[in-house]
Amino acid sequence: MTGAWTVVARRELADLWLRGRGFALLVAYSMLLSATTYLVATNQAINFIEQREAVGLTLQVAVAVGALLSLLAAADAVSGERDRGSLEALLLTPVPRRQLVAGKGAAALSLWLAAFVVALPYVWFLGHGIGLVAVPVSAGLAVGTLLAAAFAGMGLAVSSAASTSRVSLAVCMLVLLTLYVPTQSPVGATTGWAGELLQRFNPLTAGLHFLGRVVVDGHGAGEEASWLAAPALFVAAAAAAAGVAAQRLRLSGVRE
Amino acid sequence: MTARRAAGLVLAALLLWAPGAGAATAPPQITVDRGSVAIRLGTSFAFTSTLAAGSTATGPLVAHLNVVSLDPAEYVDPEDWSTERTRYLDPVEAGGSRSIRWSVKAVSAGPIAIYVTAVPAGGAGPIAVGPPLHVQVADRRTLNSGGVVPLALAVPAAVAVVAVATRRRAHP
Repeated sequence: MTGAWTVVARRELADLWLRGRGFALLVAYSMLLSATTYLVATNQAINFIEQREAVGLTLQVAVAVGALLSLLAAADAVSGERDRGSLEALLLTPVPRRQLVAGKGAAALSLWLAAFVVALPYVWFLGHGIGLVAVPVSAGLAVGTLLAAAFAGMGLAVSSAASTSRVSLAVCMLVLLTLYVPTQSPVGATTGWAGELLQRFNPLTAGLHFLGRVVVDGHGAGEEASWLAAPALFVAAAAAAAGVAAQRLRLSGVRE
Repeated sequence: MTARRAAGLVLAALLLWAPGAGAATAPPQITVDRGSVAIRLGTSFAFTSTLAAGSTATGPLVAHLNVVSLDPAEYVDPEDWSTERTRYLDPVEAGGSRSIRWSVKAVSAGPIAIYVTAVPAGGAGPIAVGPPLHVQVADRRTLNSGGVVPLALAVPAAVAVVAVATRRRAHP
């Protein structure tokens, strides 16, 4: 049953995009990017550095929201089936549980990929005049995919263990907020070895920092590649957690 | 009184002959290797400033790069032009000089003046100011804000159209 996850993925993709909220989420996301792009583009005092920052801001919004969409889909993936009473039927299929969860993870990741495609015209519009399209597109794809995969893995792990979708979403949002809080720290709080360590170990701040250095400051990707260590490690940890949770998947979650 | 006078004379002599007491605060002469630059917005360039001591050595100095817009309507943030604007220098010996290479990026358009100052590291004494380097940065209109409205409307509309078309194909 090595290809079973693809069967699950196709079914989940159909549920998400043909019968579910996939496109509705994407329309809302594109309206958010439209509002952001309109605000930065109509700034009459924009100068060169601010135009790079405009591209960076739009890209960071796209990456953060795209990863969030993947998290939302993953957090509801298993616990949602539990809520709807369809998990039992799913567990009775001959699909190995890890492949079941992997298929659902693929569907969750499709939201990030769709979000990235939607973001391309905005990044092109803001950056083509200063020759800043290829770099943000490639950097955004790399960072966004890492973060989306990490959040999807985390969402699947929590969803597999949580008794209801409400609990799953609450835990995932709490973790996301904990990761997001340092991005709002004053600049002085992030200087020094302790501040930098905190930034580097937080996959969200590390990924967004990498984007800022490469897109806004114009540094080389190789030069700043060490900032991607935390997101990559988080992907591995989240995938492992999702695998373990999938193996222990029960009808009623951890409280069975 | 005689002892007091003698003490006063000795004290005055010591003050007059104290080595470098007034001379260490002599500010250096600052020059730059060019008087003007004409470039395009977004390009980088470098220039050299030279700090020359006169007949007496200077003390330790702090050289600082400053950027100012000569157009009142144009805002300039010096941090955007260069991230290394402060250099800490050892004393310059009498008759000697020290050169500093500055690298800047033109991130604002219009007439700009760049100048270098040298502050005594002890914080006391006159500040040396070099001549301005006139930079004329040609504007480059790269963002057509008039085109953003069609984009902002078209993308969500396109996503909505794709959504409707996809669902209709799935459920004819």
